[in-house]
Amino acid sequence: MNRSLAVLLVVLTMLPAAARAQDEHRLQYTIGLMASQQIVQSRVEPSNNRLTGPILGFEGALISDRLIVRVRYGEGRVQPREGPDNNARDVVEGEALVGFHAVPWLTLWGGPSARAYTIGNTNQRWLIWTARATGRGTLVPGRMQSFVELWGAFTGSVGDPALPAGGRGFNGGLEVKLGRTTPLWSRLSYKMESTHASGLRETVESLTLSLIYGLPR
Amino acid sequence: MNRLLAAALTVCALLASAPAMMRAQNATAMLDQGVRAYNVREYDGGVWLLRRALAAEGANALGSTDAARALMYLTATEVARNQRDSALAAARRLVVLDARYRPDPRVFPPDVLAVYQEARRSAPTVSIRALGDTAIKPGTESFIVRLGATTSPELVANVTTADGRLLRTLYQGSFRDSIDVRWNGLDASGNAPPDGRYAIVVAPSARERRAGGEDWSLRLPLELARPTVDTMPLPPAPPDSLLKPERGDMSGAMHALIPGVAAGAAIMLLPQVVSSADHASNARLIVGGTVAIAGVAAFFSHHPGQRIPENTEYNRNLKENWRRNVAEVSRRNADRVRGVKLIIRPGAPSLMTGETP
Repeated sequence: MNRSLAVLLVVLTMLPAAARAQDEHRLQYTIGLMASQQIVQSRVEPSNNRLTGPILGFEGALISDRLIVRVRYGEGRVQPREGPDNNARDVVEGEALVGFHAVPWLTLWGGPSARAYTIGNTNQRWLIWTARATGRGTLVPGRMQSFVELWGAFTGSVGDPALPAGGRGFNGGLEVKLGRTTPLWSRLSYKMESTHASGLRETVESLTLSLIYGLPR
Repeated sequence: MNRLLAAALTVCALLASAPAMMRAQNATAMLDQGVRAYNVREYDGGVWLLRRALAAEGANALGSTDAARALMYLTATEVARNQRDSALAAARRLVVLDARYRPDPRVFPPDVLAVYQEARRSAPTVSIRALGDTAIKPGTESFIVRLGATTSPELVANVTTADGRLLRTLYQGSFRDSIDVRWNGLDASGNAPPDGRYAIVVAPSARERRAGGEDWSLRLPLELARPTVDTMPLPPAPPDSLLKPERGDMSGAMHALIPGVAAGAAIMLLPQVVSSADHASNARLIVGGTVAIAGVAAFFSHHPGQRIPENTEYNRNLKENWRRNVAEVSRRNADRVRGVKLIIRPGAPSLMTGETP
């Protein structure tokens, strides 16, 4: 929990710098906080476990005319709800992506996405290299927009020794500006990711509420 | 013979140096030189100088006293050249210019005085005189000319265009001694005439002519000019880009609906594609439904196909404001134009008689 507090402090100290950069119109930044409720279905043949819990995190993006770099990080703890495994898991997840605005409404991405569990003294790390496409549509110009992001893994690994892994997923939702003059946006999104390796499959659903400074891209 | 040669040489010298003199000398200087030429009996050169001095216009023109002096010396010079008709014409101009003028018998010989007296007898007993260049505000101020007469003729004084078209009658009737005739710078319809050349023409009335009076007219040429006025340009009409649509935009509504509904449907359906083996939670329905409903709401926010009274009102106000601005700028421009003074430059008066060809 101390780590979460440190991350939150880092985010808050970056906000003024982001505001200055926005004013100068050189590069644009977005930075935000997010809170998720996750439902994890973890299958280790032949058992199947279902866990739920909150994840807190932050995200940031650096945006130029055509390129965009996006980072997300979150951590939390999921509790067992169904299945033979009674252990809670500490969860850390993150992604670092580089995107390209192909057309105004479509961004193509590439980069790694990682997810790690700590179960007692053991760790399980998923590292997936993904290709993504994000489409955005404007519902009310400057006020409300929807988005859907699809991704697929082109390589990945899990565990030590590493097993080859793959997966796919999507994320979609609605982004609403919180006022005419404020640069704050809120986002309600639903995400589903399914990763798999030999004898393993993780399916993660997230219902996420985010608060973002700057126009989300 | 020697005298003729000298005169010819003088004229040649004057002609050769004429352009330079024109630039260097003003009308008063030419008058003085013309008088000197008369005194030294260089009559041909003198005539040329005096005529040039009398022909000067505008700011360079002779004043009425100098003009009278020039005409008297021109009369005397023409008499000296044995040009009696020209001398009589010059003397008549002098009588018209100033009916009260009396030549000095110590300066001019009796034959010159005799020509002048003959001109007085044959010319109408009316003179016209303007004060010089005058700036007036049309409609509120007046340009004044003084008519003088030794009898009481019945006259009519008109302002005419250069081609003789009547612009306005200033005076009709008879008077004794003198009268100031005023022109407020407007035509008979109350409009200010454009810049250009005009004249005040004084002539006997029709009744006077029928009664057997002489047929003559006095013409005072006028030049009307206005300084350039800086007016403001009229504001341009509001461009279409500033106008709001007065009817709901179906295309815009569809552009709002489709991303909302498509994204909502995708959120609800894609879990089956991503992981068909797992049962997705209801969270997808919450988010997908919210996005779809937002799209539908955005669709109706465009009022597809409906009248939008607030936009109509907005556009009407925008156009009304523009019309008000145009009217205000037009009014200010008109005020500026009205405030500009009309400059009236009178020329040398001339007499036209029945004898004039």
